Amino acid sequence: MPPSPSTPKQSNGPSANGLSRRSFLRTSAVLGSGLAALAASLAPLRHLNDFPSVDQFLQKYYKELTPEEMAKVLKRIEDEVEKQYGLLPHTAHVRDRKPMNGVEFVYALNLTRCIGCRKCVHACVAENNQSRTPEIQYIRVVRLPHGSLDLEKAEHNYNPETVPEKGYFYMPVQCQQCKNPPCVKVCPVHATWQDADGITVIDYNWCIGCRYCAAACPYWARHFNFTAPSIPKERLNLDMAYLGNRPRRQGVMEKCHFCVQRTRVGRYPACLEVCPVGARKFGNILDPESEVSYILRTKRVFIQLKEEMGTSPRFFYYFDV
Amino acid sequence: MNNAEKTSAVLLGLTAVFVAVGLKCATGFGARAAMPARIPLVETQFLDTATFRKSYAELIRTKADLSDFDCYTCHEKGKPPTLRFDAQHNLIVPKEHEDVVMGHGTHNRNNNCFNCHDEQNLELLQARDGRQIKLAESAPLCGSCHGPTYRDWEAGAHGRTSGYWDRAAGPIKRQICVDCHNPHRPKIPSRTPAPGPHLLHPLAAAAEGAPH
Repeated sequence: MPPSPSTPKQSNGPSANGLSRRSFLRTSAVLGSGLAALAASLAPLRHLNDFPSVDQFLQKYYKELTPEEMAKVLKRIEDEVEKQYGLLPHTAHVRDRKPMNGVEFVYALNLTRCIGCRKCVHACVAENNQSRTPEIQYIRVVRLPHGSLDLEKAEHNYNPETVPEKGYFYMPVQCQQCKNPPCVKVCPVHATWQDADGITVIDYNWCIGCRYCAAACPYWARHFNFTAPSIPKERLNLDMAYLGNRPRRQGVMEKCHFCVQRTRVGRYPACLEVCPVGARKFGNILDPESEVSYILRTKRVFIQLKEEMGTSPRFFYYFDV
Repeated sequence: MNNAEKTSAVLLGLTAVFVAVGLKCATGFGARAAMPARIPLVETQFLDTATFRKSYAELIRTKADLSDFDCYTCHEKGKPPTLRFDAQHNLIVPKEHEDVVMGHGTHNRNNNCFNCHDEQNLELLQARDGRQIKLAESAPLCGSCHGPTYRDWEAGAHGRTSGYWDRAAGPIKRQICVDCHNPHRPKIPSRTPAPGPHLLHPLAAAAEGAPH
């Protein structure tokens, strides 16, 4: 092919270093499309925005944090939450709630009263910033036929027009805050432990997601974030605790913690306040004047769920008669 | 030239492969498109912490309209209204009080208004021992029959509470009997349950989704 007269300076033949115009164009076309393909194939990484920051990655164990370090960690988490949910600065509050002295929490649930309306389930989801899609719920209300406590007969997905139904009773099951918790025993990294007030808590930053605790728990109380949790911004509860209801990330375990952000400042848990029939009772068992002390002292029947497992729950079911 | 043609063909092929891979990555893979459907948010009525009804005490507290409780705009003072019964000794509720549904107690044994209301002063209640009780403080009247429940309520074990379990940290809010129970028909009415758990996997949802 003769050289084009319009481009006399460009030679079509081999140049001094052996690179012709044609081979250069050919090679750059392949390289260019190759690079573009590489960029396109890496594009999903742009959506990987919950990559841990250096501070988060190097954070110390919860029990080893000094108060100053804890304050920094809480500030960092508040900033992360505000950024993730597009909130105004200083609107999210994450606090480190410690157990109170002379307090041991006990929950008592009146099976005679419960009507199975599932309001506690959804109040808990709203209070504790649980993922809406996929759905994570700490409380599972099961329906049982009268005259039996056989959990093999429990129905989880009951859906009648109205509750209560004739011939059935309802039993809400959540974390039983065991005195002898199997989930704590199996955790290989001590990311979950039992605090002085009896609440078994989880440090979501220390959890490695091995799910041993979920396998160990006889109550199905532990829930794993298999995918990134999603909470609509307008439903986010901004009163948060480090060991409680701050938003979790993908790959960590979570469970009922008796609303530490409420109960460790003296308030009742959210599931209790929403119960329309007053079936739920909560308080300090070390205080003889508390409602739960009265119930355990005077009510004639109370059961600990799966007592034979030796877990010794702090969650009691009782009957009025 | 044979060699160069071969090179051309190989490079052309590579370009085509790269372009195809790039397009596929940019448009996304088919399998990733099958994201689970967004679960609808629960209706806020299920998050409501209000009681079933509003008691007289609550109406006073919220400064609501109390004209319904002015008995003597219709009744005459010092003249107890007479009760009328049908052949089966059921109380005939006058049409002025047709919002009152008599359903307190079984076997129709509690069908006399003046078991609880004071016939001498209709704006008051009357306990079984003759004590006069204000409408806003009706709990002891209920307790005069429902002793064990009243005892449990006093101890905090019956009925709804909210606020603070720790009395040192803040006040506890207790409800009285008539905040939840209609005194004329005390049984708590049945209600629609909040939605049950959603199954994430579409096939499992199809298999179990049907109402039982």
